[in-house]
Amino acid sequence: MSEVIVVTSGKGGVGKTTTSANVGTGLAKLDKKVVLIDTDIGLRNLDVVMGLENRIVYNLVDCVEGNCRIKQALIKDKRYPNLYLLPSAQTRDKNSVNPEQMIKLVEELKEEFDYIILDCPAGIEQGFKNAIAAADRALVVTTPEVSAIRDADRIIGLLEANELKRSDLIVNRLRMDMVKRGDMMSIDDVVDILSINLIGAVPDDENIVVSTNNGEPLVGNDSLAGQAYLNICKRIMGEEVPLLDLNAKTGFFRKLFKKN
Amino acid sequence: MLGKDKNMNSVVIKGNKYGISIVMDEALEYEAIKEELKQKLLASKKFFKKASMAVSFEGKQLSDEEQYELVSIIEENSEMSIVCIMDNDPLKEEQFKTLVENVTAPVVEEIVEPMPQPQMVTESIINDSGQFYKGTLRSGQSLESATSIVILGDVNPGANIVANGNIVILGTLKGNAYAGANGNENAIVVALEMQPMQIRIADIIARCADKPEKAKNPTAKIAFVEDGNIYIEKLDKDIIADINL
Repeated sequence: MSEVIVVTSGKGGVGKTTTSANVGTGLAKLDKKVVLIDTDIGLRNLDVVMGLENRIVYNLVDCVEGNCRIKQALIKDKRYPNLYLLPSAQTRDKNSVNPEQMIKLVEELKEEFDYIILDCPAGIEQGFKNAIAAADRALVVTTPEVSAIRDADRIIGLLEANELKRSDLIVNRLRMDMVKRGDMMSIDDVVDILSINLIGAVPDDENIVVSTNNGEPLVGNDSLAGQAYLNICKRIMGEEVPLLDLNAKTGFFRKLFKKN
Repeated sequence: MLGKDKNMNSVVIKGNKYGISIVMDEALEYEAIKEELKQKLLASKKFFKKASMAVSFEGKQLSDEEQYELVSIIEENSEMSIVCIMDNDPLKEEQFKTLVENVTAPVVEEIVEPMPQPQMVTESIINDSGQFYKGTLRSGQSLESATSIVILGDVNPGANIVANGNIVILGTLKGNAYAGANGNENAIVVALEMQPMQIRIADIIARCADKPEKAKNPTAKIAFVEDGNIYIEKLDKDIIADINL
């Protein structure tokens, strides 16, 4: 039984693409057959974060318009043979695709894959509508900032209106030192406002920047963010995994930094 | 006098930017229109001179055969050559324009910036030799040429250049270059700094290494096809001597 998951946030820059890349890679690491679809037509990024940009020949719009078969457009990941990427078109815009076409495309992919992860563009316009049309469930990404939370709240409302079966929350870029000082909202504060199920919290981690620039998702490595993403993947698969103790490790990191 | 005036105006030839439109009196018989048009053309033969034009018919419904007959009358009685017949539809103005301009202007002076167009594909260039483009091609921009093209600027990652002929970049190639797009394996890609995402020549695709090394002293390089593979070499005299354009 395959599952279609849209990664969305409303606000830009909160980590949708990073989350898509890491969740997709993580699920592949856990031996699932996964396809990542970049639905951000015109501003594609997922291929860069995955380090697969140089392999793009056909894209999502080509598939939808029938210029190629879906198999031709799927790019096999360089690390995991059971992970594929369907890149977005860069020279087109969001209106090149409509929700019906996305549903049809996803239906075809469902036959082959366990998980279909849709990386949603920022905003609530055509691109968003395309991305959520085919989804069974959503991962709503937010950062602990009022602006991101406001947009996430709006998105959750729209997802409910579109009758998605399930929405889970990822609180991204958490800085425990700031939370302790009372300068940043805590996970509980965010969950309190948005009142949907929390599926994971990812600490702010400079390794993310390095991994993005290298095109190597860090899920599953020993960085704190890598662990957090792997836990999210396990929870997506239905495992019960306790939340990471972000405090302890942050304390450890802080000690490290103090030494330097 | 009045009657004659009315008669004379029952067929009017109007010029517009891309051609002419023939405005006819609804009441006039087709045979009379033919004759009238002939007279009008002969009278103004010098005015219209030798030109490629599009034509549209207004005021009276004509069958296709009738339209073609009128076109041949126009061509016989003037030096104009009719490129196409247009419906009198303002929405088709744009098509009108392109068709005529492609025929009348063998050299398009300016390549339209790709940004404002929804498809982001710039106008194809109708020319036998080549074309220049000045400016940086940025992500999402695509430049297409029916001939060869010289870019005075950089091609950034995510940008595409497609040419039926050769591509020469007087700058850094970091994006995609697709030369010989109509299947010409003799096409080449030259760049002052070669860091392409992909190079395609005819049907052959080459992509960059996953961990590209940064050249310390970048030199001009050329990409070409040999034995079904794309090679990138330093652009030196020996290589240039081997090029078949």
